[in-house]
Parts: sequence; C-alpha cells; structure tokens
Amino acid sequence: MPIVRFRYITFLLALGCAGIIIAIALNRPSPFAFLDYSHAQSFKILFLSIILEAIPFILLGVLFSGLLQVFVTDEMIRKFTPKNPIAGVLFGGLLGLAFPLCECGMIPVVRRLIRKGMPAYIGIVYLLAGPVVNPIVFTATFAAFRSAPEMAYARLILAFAVAVIIGLIMHVFMRKSPLRDEREPQLAVHSSHGDYHGHHHHNDAHDHVHSHKPKHDHSHSHGHHHEEPRGSLSSRLSAMLGHASDEFFEMGKYLIFGAMLTAAIQTIMDRSVLASVADQPLLSYMAMMAFAFILSICSTSDAFIAASFGNVFTGGPLLAFLVFGPMIDFKNMLMLLSAFRIKIVLALALLCFILVGLGSWIMEVWL
Amino acid sequence: MKHHLLRAFILTAFALLIVYLSRSNQLSLYIAPRMELYVKLSALGLYAAAIHQLFLALKKRRQQHQHTAECGCEHTPSPSVFKNTVIYSLFIFPLALGFFSPAGVLGSTAAAKKGVSFAASTNVQPLGTEPGQLAASLPEPSASIAPKPPTLEERFPYDEYTKAHAEYGMKLYQKPNITVPEATYIETLTTLDLYRDNFMDKTIDISGFIYKEDDMGEQRFAVSRFAMTCCSADAIPYGLMVQVSSADDYKGFAADDWVSVSGKLMTSMYNGNEILTLKLNTIKRIEAPESPYVYANYDF
Repeated sequence: MPIVRFRYITFLLALGCAGIIIAIALNRPSPFAFLDYSHAQSFKILFLSIILEAIPFILLGVLFSGLLQVFVTDEMIRKFTPKNPIAGVLFGGLLGLAFPLCECGMIPVVRRLIRKGMPAYIGIVYLLAGPVVNPIVFTATFAAFRSAPEMAYARLILAFAVAVIIGLIMHVFMRKSPLRDEREPQLAVHSSHGDYHGHHHHNDAHDHVHSHKPKHDHSHSHGHHHEEPRGSLSSRLSAMLGHASDEFFEMGKYLIFGAMLTAAIQTIMDRSVLASVADQPLLSYMAMMAFAFILSICSTSDAFIAASFGNVFTGGPLLAFLVFGPMIDFKNMLMLLSAFRIKIVLALALLCFILVGLGSWIMEVWL
Repeated sequence: MKHHLLRAFILTAFALLIVYLSRSNQLSLYIAPRMELYVKLSALGLYAAAIHQLFLALKKRRQQHQHTAECGCEHTPSPSVFKNTVIYSLFIFPLALGFFSPAGVLGSTAAAKKGVSFAASTNVQPLGTEPGQLAASLPEPSASIAPKPPTLEERFPYDEYTKAHAEYGMKLYQKPNITVPEATYIETLTTLDLYRDNFMDKTIDISGFIYKEDDMGEQRFAVSRFAMTCCSADAIPYGLMVQVSSADDYKGFAADDWVSVSGKLMTSMYNGNEILTLKLNTIKRIEAPESPYVYANYDF
C-alpha cells in the first residue's frame, strides 16, 4: 500500500533530516562521510536551490490551472480538442509551442485539463512532449550545443515522436481514468477538501445536482467545476486563489520530497562512475538516462550539463539524457504521483525508458 | 481552520525566506541572476496566497456553526494527526535550513563529485573537425621552407558556430598578458582551448578556488569556479590545471582556498586527455568573490 510505504519513507526521511541538521549544527566532520560538514553544506545548497528554482514555475502552473478551472468551461475544452486520436496526439505534442510550461508547472495544468474533459491520452502527450517541444528549451539546447545544432533538432524530434507513440499506446490500452481516485485522498494535506475532490468524476459530474447554495464556504463551492465559470469576478478570483494554494501544497510535498532525495544523491554520487561506462554500448544509454532521472533539473538547463559530458559520451547517450530527463525524473515522477495513479506513472516511466533508449540509439546515426 | 492557519504560516515563511535570502545577498548562492526576478516575484505570489488562506481561516471560524447546520456536509478531519505532522514538517525542513543554517558555497567537495571540466572546448569543436585537424590546418612556421608567419585571420579559422570565439581569440592574441575575467570565464577558457596552439607560452591570469584530486599528483592542482545556468543543482565546475615544480611552491594553500594564479600556458596529460595547464609563476591568496559562481555570457 502506498500509504504505508509513504509513512515509512517519511519516517526514515525525518531521521535523515535530523542527522543533517545535527551535522550542520556541529559544524565538524562526523564519522560518516556523507554527513560530513562540507557534504551537508552541498546538500543544503542543492536542496534549497532546487526548491527555490521550482517555486516560480509551480506557482505559474497552479495559477494557470486555477485560471482554467475558474474561467474556462468544460465545453470550451471539449470543443478545442480534436476528436480523432491521431489529430489528438499531434495536437497534444504541439501544445507546448503555444503554452511553454516546464515540467514543474505542467502537472497541475494537465490534471486540470483532464478533469475538465480533455481526453487523458492527449493530456499525457502534452505532459511528456511539453517540456521539450517548446521554444525556450529549444533555444537553450541550441546555445549549449553551439557546434552541434543537430542535437537541438534531434531532441525536439525524438521527444515529439516518443510522446506521440506513448499517447497512441495510452489511447488503445488505457481504459480507466489515469487520475488518482480522489474519493480517498491518500495524503492528508488536502484532506480538508476531501469532499471537493469527490465530485470530480467525469461520468457523473454533469448530472450531479447539488443543493448547496451558490455562496457558502469556499472549499465547497469550488467542488462543482461545471458551475464554476459563473459568479462575480471577485468570487472567481477567490476561488482561483483557493485552487492555486491547494495545488501548491499538493505539489509542494512531492517537490520537497523529490528535491531532498535528488540533493542527497547528488551530494554522495561521484559522477566519474558515469565515465567508466561511456564506451559500453547499452550501458552508456542506460547510465545517462539514470543520471537524468537522478539529476531532476529543469529542461532549460540540462542541455549545459549534457554538453559538459560531450567529451565523454557520444551523441546517442547524450540525446537519451536530454529527452528522458524532462519526461521522467525523480522530482517530476513524485509530483506525477500527486495527480496520477501509481500504475500509470510506472507504465509511463517504463515506456519512456524503452522508447527514448531505442529512439536515441537509432538517431545516433545522424549525430 | 487549523489547516488554513498552518498553510498561511508556511506560505508566509516561504515568502519571507526569499526576502531574507535576497536581503542577505544569499539568493545568488542558489539561483542564477536571470532567475532571481522570477523567484522574487513568486514571493509576492506566496504572500498573496498566505493572506487568502488567513482570510479563509477567519471566514471558516465565523461560519463554522451555521455552516454545518446549513448544508450538513462535514469537513472530514485529517485522517491521521501523525501523517499531517510529517507532511507539514516536510515543508518546515527547507525553511529551517534556509533561515537557521550558516551560508556556505559549493566547494571542492562538490567539485570532486561533479568532476571539473578542463576541456571546455569539446562541445564547441567546429563541426566535423577532429581536435588535431584544427591545429594541422594552421601553417606550421617551423615546418614550412619559407617561414612566412601566418596572418591573424589564418591563425583563427572559424565556422559559423565559433565565429565569436575566433574574434575574441584574435583580441586576446594581441595582448601580452591574458586575464580570465569573471564575466566571460567560460568563454575565455573555451577560446584558449579551441585555439590552444596560438596561446602556448603566453602568460595567463586566473582566479578561483583550489581543487585537488589524488590522481593529479603532488605537483598539480586546479583553479576552478562553478558555472551556473539556472540553479546550483546544475552548476558545473570549470577550471585550469596548474603545474608546479615541487609541492613546496604552494605550501600553505589548501583545497577551497581562493587564489589568483599567474603562469605560462602549456599542456599536460590528465585522464588520457591533453589539457591546458599553467606553469605556475605566482600564486596569491584573494578574498572569496561576492558570488562564487560564473555564468554563461549570453551576449558573447
């Protein structure tokens, strides 16, 4: 059970945190190398910097999601998305060009879109392709690989292709809603709104008649999303802020958890182990994808890291790093768990791993 | 209501953390300058959300009685106090670290894990050109029968991607002493590496922190700085190797000390690569700079 597991993990984490605080407070080397003062210092810097960097983007994401919730009706979303699955996945893959959000900001927006009636497989394509297929990331990749501009194009093409294929697979095989069953919120921070989540099942949401008076407690009134885009501007704004901060806390706990783990791993892990597998054909791809997973940095800045490995790895593994990281990484996978069912998240991670590995191996011919 | 109050408190604390880090000049330890504005703006957003939560808490308290009577829907209390405590502590942990632990910078411990980039040029190599080819395309004065020195343009061949580096290289070439400045730290190192044959035996000044690794041997150490793109999680150390004739030449200097060194440019072998190396002339201790990081220069 995820709940039970989460409890153990948090308990262990609490112990680890206490250790780090003690190490910092004592300000001297401890018998454990990884609790050494300078390690604790790098952990703190990495941990806080990941959180600080993510905050603006998460805020942007939850605000955008709140805007969608309060000002856009389900009918508008329905009308907007193509009915044909092929057109749908292509639409989802290119949505990042119109709404360039990074992976942190993407999750609340995609969840909102799916709840508002966008077919889930299209939402997933946007989720996977969006962090790469957008102008900002393309420019950054181009800048990092000045001498090898084909890398920027290859990244764009492979990310788009992988997302589209996964979208089609999801269209064929996914029967249930990929979103978590929100009748029983597993984590408690938003449990005060447990009632509001209960109303979000698409099937019954529309014939759901509620006897509530339109104006009462906030956490209630925003439960009925199909009623939302009505009412005065100030009540809409208030509802939007309410949604935004609910989602901020939901995402936030996963973000902090992810930032903590990735900072700890980065503090301990020696990157030179990567170089030792650089000449092994299969391992080099897997190692670079695992590295991207652990790093959990934004898709706008990972190109520079990849470029710094340019003298160690060939183009293929670097491309795998550049495409896999934005789609699935530690921080982002934990944040996905706040919105999606664990099976879906694992299936997505596995599919991405296989398809990106295969795709970048094929594309190495041109790199 | 308790939840709203706690949330209001946490949101305010995050907003205040950003303000505090910015006021105490620590924000640059975590975030690149071009990101700072967004982070500061998000403090405003967090603050607005905090006020909204506070407002909700008060509203809820006022309505608590009539509310339950009116619609009969209960607000499920948190299923487990323990779980709530753990989750809210998760939010408090980074706050506590940010406010109460001493400020520090990434140093040689982190550099050892990340691996210092000595050959910055590999990613800026002209397309289809092997490292050796570039040098070979230059007329070698000693090899030719009529020793006509190559013109400046001939010394700095470029393609569309290395044009800026070639132009910068020509400027550097005419100087007797080359300083690696903070604003174009990476670009200068890249240029030196890209056109390394032109700069052999020139005097280079560079500053940074000392980084030592076992396989460098007694007579070598590195002077490097972290280059940051967005946040310190993506910072990569860049630097130059420094060669001394005996370990006594830098006695009294330890890893993480900030130094300014001056020396003649040469090359040495490191992990199977021929990397740029300075033959040490002078070394002196300097104050740690305000920001330990250098940034890619987008105007270059």
